[in-house]
Amino acid sequence: MSLEIPVDAPPGSVGAIGRSVRRVRPIVLPIATLTAVLLLWQLAAVRLHIPTVLLPTPSEIAREMWHALPLLIDQAVPTALDTLLAFAAAAVLGIGLAIVISYSRLLRDTLYPNLVFFQLVPKVALAPLFVIWLGYGSPARVAFAAFISFFPVVISAAVGFAGTDPAVLRLCRSLTASEWRSFLLVRFPFALPAIFSGFKVAMTMAVVGVIIGEFISSQAGLGHYILRAGSRLDTADVFAALGALSVLGLALYGAVALAELSVRRVYGRR
Amino acid sequence: MALLDTISGADKAVPNGRILRLVLLPVGFAAATIALWQILCQTLQVRPILLPPPSAVWTVLRDNYAILLNETLPTLRESVLGFIVASVLGVAIAVALTFSRWVREALYPGIVMFQLIPKIALAPLFIVWLGVGETTSVVVAVFIAFFPIVVSTATGLVSAKPEVLQLCKSLTASEGQVFRMVRFPYALPYIFAGMKVGVTMVMIGVVVGEFITAQHGLGYIIMFAAGAGETATVLAAIVLLCVIGLGLYGIIGLAELLVLRWFGGEAPISGVI
Amino acid sequence: MSTDKVGPCIEVSGISKVYRAGTAAAVEAVSTVSFTVPQGQFVAILGPSGCGKSTLLMMVGGLEAVSSGLIIVDGKPMIGPRTSIGVMFQDPTLLPWKSALDNVLFPVRVLKRSIEDHREAANNLLQQVGLNGFEHKRPHELSGGMRQRVAICRTLVYDPDVLLMDEPFSALDAISRDEMNELLLDLWQQFTKTALFVTHSIREAVLLADRVLVMTRRPATIVEDLTVPFARPRSMALGENREFNEICRHLRERIEDGDGRSRAPRPGTATWRREAPQ
Repeated sequence: MSLEIPVDAPPGSVGAIGRSVRRVRPIVLPIATLTAVLLLWQLAAVRLHIPTVLLPTPSEIAREMWHALPLLIDQAVPTALDTLLAFAAAAVLGIGLAIVISYSRLLRDTLYPNLVFFQLVPKVALAPLFVIWLGYGSPARVAFAAFISFFPVVISAAVGFAGTDPAVLRLCRSLTASEWRSFLLVRFPFALPAIFSGFKVAMTMAVVGVIIGEFISSQAGLGHYILRAGSRLDTADVFAALGALSVLGLALYGAVALAELSVRRVYGRR
Repeated sequence: MALLDTISGADKAVPNGRILRLVLLPVGFAAATIALWQILCQTLQVRPILLPPPSAVWTVLRDNYAILLNETLPTLRESVLGFIVASVLGVAIAVALTFSRWVREALYPGIVMFQLIPKIALAPLFIVWLGVGETTSVVVAVFIAFFPIVVSTATGLVSAKPEVLQLCKSLTASEGQVFRMVRFPYALPYIFAGMKVGVTMVMIGVVVGEFITAQHGLGYIIMFAAGAGETATVLAAIVLLCVIGLGLYGIIGLAELLVLRWFGGEAPISGVI
Repeated sequence: MSTDKVGPCIEVSGISKVYRAGTAAAVEAVSTVSFTVPQGQFVAILGPSGCGKSTLLMMVGGLEAVSSGLIIVDGKPMIGPRTSIGVMFQDPTLLPWKSALDNVLFPVRVLKRSIEDHREAANNLLQQVGLNGFEHKRPHELSGGMRQRVAICRTLVYDPDVLLMDEPFSALDAISRDEMNELLLDLWQQFTKTALFVTHSIREAVLLADRVLVMTRRPATIVEDLTVPFARPRSMALGENREFNEICRHLRERIEDGDGRSRAPRPGTATWRREAPQ
């Protein structure tokens, strides 16, 4: 229904002005709220003399970000690289295992419950183990991040492959298509929405994994930067780094979402 | 489709052989892995600092259970408290969002965006604000866990079909009646699904909080033992953490099953992610 | 019950409904409709999809605002929903966590009337629609037709004077639909309420109604007001009556005309040759 006037339209919301307000509101309102919050924050921090240690003003954070920008970018690089590597590993291995599981009933019954079980276990606790095994440095972080992002990929890919419409598969069989061809042409495309939703979770988990890895064992990267700034009680610096990290996290997630959009355009909406 | 059946447990009238297979295979696989682990450690003479055999882990658990239990309690406390606060807060915020369109449109995009930021990175900030006590771990846990609960509760509260709401309207039902008798019950399956994600997030928050505050709890034990090269202790603490994590998840899962049974009809959502 | 009231039950005068979607041109969903319904009459509103009949029904029920015109029900203008008007939709939307009986009693709870007083009535209603023994079943244990029957009981339990039904049987398979039509005919013998019944099935309209209002799409207005000449009680056997089928044929032509479609070629001439001039 493209009907714009709700049944209980309050007075003043109908007509030309009401229409433009309605169209613009979803964009304006969040921005307006954000601006209001920032202003309030700035005023309150200054008026109430809140110590910088506790809550720096937005202007102080902005200044800090400006000063530290080259350093922040410098530190963002190892974090980003680790995350991408971990995600790639998780994606490849995850889909690979999901394919294997889809085709072997035995492996599926054996492995899938274990995978689900592992997904529920607080895998974060294993981070120090990776450090013991792979030492202080990138490999441990990448391996740990890949480990925790692997599970969402397998599980959602497996569900995606299994969820193919049996009617379409029957059609393939009646056309005597080989298993591989029916996988390529039917199962895989149909599973793409599920796979991408798993990817989105995996990317988020990969970032989390890398950050946690940096918390416990690093000399570089944004996570380590935040931890160090925190121990110095340099709250403005912490916020600045958090800002940089947020940008990074959103960019990475956005990359997956963008990939999903372009794949969607190729394969059509489900 | 059998995979989905396995996942959703939809096979009601299942012959015994099938149940046996569904349980024995994965459990057998896990047991075999542990057995293999034990054998490999002993035959290949793996350094205990790298990978101690299961027997060593068991020894640590048995010999030090008093100390370990002592550290399990704070972790358990933090997890339970964190989960309760996150759930109550999450549901309350979702209800507030549902009732005010302006609040909803103003905050919801922010909440969704916030969900995408690695919130665990804020843990050091909480340490600056709250120090290194149990409270910090709880707050970090609540902070990470309450977002999924808000999102899924809000989704659930608007999931009632428009025809039911029209029916209520034709009966001139008040907003409170509609909420109590229709919207909230329809939202319950969603709330529980959100809580399942929430409890997982709480564990992450608690453990990471303990990692970096390093004062008490199983997370602290893990870091301490890892630093001292006592890998068997690390594994023992991990085992205990798994027990807590799975226990809490199991309780929520059980509650969810009961709610879904009460709800009747098709469950609106299912899945593990 | 309603026979001691004088005057028409429903008066619709010059009703229209206009939607504006952003910068697009205004869409007139309903365009200047007027009719009156006396007490106790069963009126079918018949038309193809998208002709605004559901919107019209919602306006009569006070669930949608009118853009212009006036609706008077029971002597009072409609400015909002009323509990003396009962509504039924295509989707029964029973609450899945309640039993059939509790679903029937749902309006009683909303209206804060005594559950105990209505329990027996609810049970009787369920019995009348043939759901004896199913009172404690949940919706997911009932078929589509059974759920719609529970919905009928739910609409009748609080004794509204006017019934508005929006294609209640359209989602059912043909056999269930016939069963429901038969059920409604039987119920109508007892609960003679004023009713507006929206449908796109010509046979259903003629079978169930005392009067059929035909609506077209463009413009969305009433093009025919036909009184159905068959006495009650009616049965499904009416469907084989010649006059019944004549009326249906007439209505079908009326609808097709209204749609601007050419009539099907008369028997005897060549069929399926669209290009050939007649």
